[in-house]
Amino acid sequence: MRSASNRVRRARPSLGTFVEITARGDDEAKLHSAIDRAFNAIARVDRQMSFHQSVSDVSRINREAFQRKVSVDPWTWRVLRAAQKLSRESDGIFDITVARKLMQWKYLPRRYRNVSEGNWRDIVLEKNCTVRFRQRVIVDLGGIAKGFAVDRAVEALKRAGVPSGVVNAGGDLRVFGLKSELVHLRRPAEPMRPAGAIKLCERALATSGIYFAQKRCGGAMVNSLLDGRSCRSSRELISVSVAASACMIADALTKIAFVLGEKSVPLLAQYHADALLLECDGAPLWMFRSPCDTRDQSRFD
Amino acid sequence: MSQIPRWILPAAFSVTVPLPSYAVQYLTVSQAQKLCFPQADQFVTAHVKFTPAQTKAIEAASGEKQLLRGQEIWRAIKGGKLQGFFIVDYVIGKHLVIDYAVALSPEGTVKQLEILNYRESYGGEIRNADWRKQFVGKRPGSRFALNEGINNISGATLSCRHVTDGVRRVLTTYEVCLK
Repeated sequence: MRSASNRVRRARPSLGTFVEITARGDDEAKLHSAIDRAFNAIARVDRQMSFHQSVSDVSRINREAFQRKVSVDPWTWRVLRAAQKLSRESDGIFDITVARKLMQWKYLPRRYRNVSEGNWRDIVLEKNCTVRFRQRVIVDLGGIAKGFAVDRAVEALKRAGVPSGVVNAGGDLRVFGLKSELVHLRRPAEPMRPAGAIKLCERALATSGIYFAQKRCGGAMVNSLLDGRSCRSSRELISVSVAASACMIADALTKIAFVLGEKSVPLLAQYHADALLLECDGAPLWMFRSPCDTRDQSRFD
Repeated sequence: MSQIPRWILPAAFSVTVPLPSYAVQYLTVSQAQKLCFPQADQFVTAHVKFTPAQTKAIEAASGEKQLLRGQEIWRAIKGGKLQGFFIVDYVIGKHLVIDYAVALSPEGTVKQLEILNYRESYGGEIRNADWRKQFVGKRPGSRFALNEGINNISGATLSCRHVTDGVRRVLTTYEVCLK
């Protein structure tokens, strides 16, 4: 085992938030070049999967995939495929076409007109990384791409020989290597106060809350966490944290657990994931621990 | 090293916030310089104090209020040849000041961006021992204090918009003062 004597931490704005990368190892210069590669991976996800940038894959398919097949970056295709799988498994609660509603509620800029009322079933993934839509739907990968970016950054660090570290994209994070990390969770009602801390080792953690994101729209309070089936926004001020081996899965499962609460247990168990719901004052509302899996070394502790 | 030079900041910026804060120094100025311009053998100070006309021009072109009175700028030089500009800028994050550095090519395109110091105000104490007890049963409570224990935070995503707006302002500063 190599000794991890140095620790390098860097942060850049990306994916609409601050992405922080911590790497531990012996050679500081090597750690820096590994972090550069990890940031490059994050930048690629940001470039291709951003709803806001007009040249991204997401913008191209939103504009054109109803008229013709659009070929996308293999990474975008992988995220779309994972999203489709999660939509099927959650019976449409997770649905990337809720972008239509998010746009109406001004969580997303109003960039498209005449959007049809379709759902995830209208997205067709074809061979050679091509995509087409059966209806004029629009997609937003905001609920899953950040987790995917974290996974790609961790992959880049590992490939560059970094023995341990953390990648944290605005609260969606993954810890790898032998060292465990303490992660503080924000209090839903007062996000600038921590509720408590969780210890993680070789595991990803994502949290979805509506704390900074709630707003008034047409007389009712709405938030950006939607039930894909009803397009209604879910519960009041609480947060959901999910731990899983991959950050993309953790990220997407938070949205499902937010809507389903305790009914999300079968799906969480299928992904060997753990979940923790916090009430607005930060008190744990309920928690689920997946039955132990030998592949996962650590759980909510 | 993380001291913000007085001459650059307006009064509103330097108000200290009495709340406990979460602060991370990612890189010092000289570390960031070396990362952005590894080839450079010299960083020549070229700090600018804005004239009222320059401030106006920057605000008009960027659409951003120019709160700073000046800008810390270095020319990255290799063998006498200009490699680019290294610029330190300050924006207000959620509540507190974030310092970051932008590396520009000699033509003024963004080469690299690094956060130098990140600060966030954090209210209240953490009663983690109590909190943990509620769902894990009996365990020795952890003894971390504020400022020491917080390394990773999960929860609502903080927007980086202030920094992206700041970069736009820095690019117009280049147009106005360096081009």
